[in-house]
Amino acid sequence: MSKKILFIEDEEALQLAMSGVLSKSGYEMINASDGETGLLAVEKHFPDLILLDLILPKKNGFEVLQALRKNEKTKNIPVIILTNLEESENVEHALSGGATTYLIKANYSVHDIAAKIEEILNKHS
Amino acid sequence: MSIIESLNIKKHCNKYRVGLWECPQFLFVLMGIIICFAIFTTYIVGRHFYDDPEIVALIVLIVASILFIIGHSIIMSFERIAKVSRDKSEFIDIMSHEMRSPLSAIKWQSDVLLSDKSSPLASLTEATRYLEIIYEQNEKMIDVVNDLLEINKIEDKELILRPSLFSLEKLTRVVVLKNEKYASSSKIKINLNIQENDTAVFADEERIKRVIGHLIDNAIRYSVEGVEVHIIIKQKEEFIYWEVANIGTGIVPEEYDRIFDKFFRSQNAMRFQTSGTGIGLFIAKSIITMSRGSIGFKSSRDKQTIFWFTLPRSNKRV
Repeated sequence: MSKKILFIEDEEALQLAMSGVLSKSGYEMINASDGETGLLAVEKHFPDLILLDLILPKKNGFEVLQALRKNEKTKNIPVIILTNLEESENVEHALSGGATTYLIKANYSVHDIAAKIEEILNKHS
Repeated sequence: MSIIESLNIKKHCNKYRVGLWECPQFLFVLMGIIICFAIFTTYIVGRHFYDDPEIVALIVLIVASILFIIGHSIIMSFERIAKVSRDKSEFIDIMSHEMRSPLSAIKWQSDVLLSDKSSPLASLTEATRYLEIIYEQNEKMIDVVNDLLEINKIEDKELILRPSLFSLEKLTRVVVLKNEKYASSSKIKINLNIQENDTAVFADEERIKRVIGHLIDNAIRYSVEGVEVHIIIKQKEEFIYWEVANIGTGIVPEEYDRIFDKFFRSQNAMRFQTSGTGIGLFIAKSIITMSRGSIGFKSSRDKQTIFWFTLPRSNKRV
């Protein structure tokens, strides 16, 4: 069965590119455009990995991460923070809040991120 | 740098973009002159009133107070310069984020296009969609860079307006059309209410287009999903009045004074829910003021916020 990846990102352009590449790599892609919808999608689909932006409508990435880590069912799902916020306080906040890794969107191509996802999923399986 | 150049205090102060009374170099020189003068005066007074130490003590006290006030002004001016430096750092953080977002999108789309070697004809529609996104994101980048250049021109007082007579209604419709896709993605409807047949104003059309763009973008950005954004255009004496109203997070009274400051972004709940540069309102205020109009806002407890501006209907000074 193919692994499910949830991408919580409000920029449609990024969703489209990521979904295209990851679907072709055999993953089942689920997209959510804001924090609230993202959390609902987690409950509904129970993904194997979550790609999470920080600046998000309704509930921001930090709030989503906190909600995921508080919930017994979701606390172990790997979460990759995908953002363009680079301030160290945000990186520390996300990593201490339970993010698996923190990537700057502009510094990684979609294929680099796909490789990172594979690496993290292999570690967790 | 020659010695003469280093003595040109006014030039140094201009470089920091602060007035003489806020400029550390000037205040230091002034303090030096006052210290020399004070030593000399104290010496003369001391000699004259050597048998009356209270008067000498009083004069020393007055001189010390003057020096204390100047010292305080110097500290304040340093604080101001430190604040400017901190604001610039914050600004660089914000701008780099704003520029990185479209750059990331362009990078990702190009990556997908370049890596997809399978049948280009079969995926022509998909490729066109990616190219459209690259184009839109590039436009966003251009807007950000234009804002940056605009802010520099405003600060250096080099912004030159090219006014002409144009219809504010037509221009607003163009901007609304450009923002419709963005609005509908948040299920927001833009409602245009024109209460005047002739909405011609005398201003720089291109610049006013950007002012309207910033105000409408803010109204959508800070609105609650599913609400309507209302735009009203009407006549107000010798001016045309324009306003945009939205229902959203509102503005807290503590932030009223800073709303038009450059780089200012509200600390409200939306800070991490939407991005923004914090320069749109600063640019809008500068352009409207330079165009002989006025600009302002009203924010009420029910979270309705109205941003408005007026522009002259003719080039006659009112």
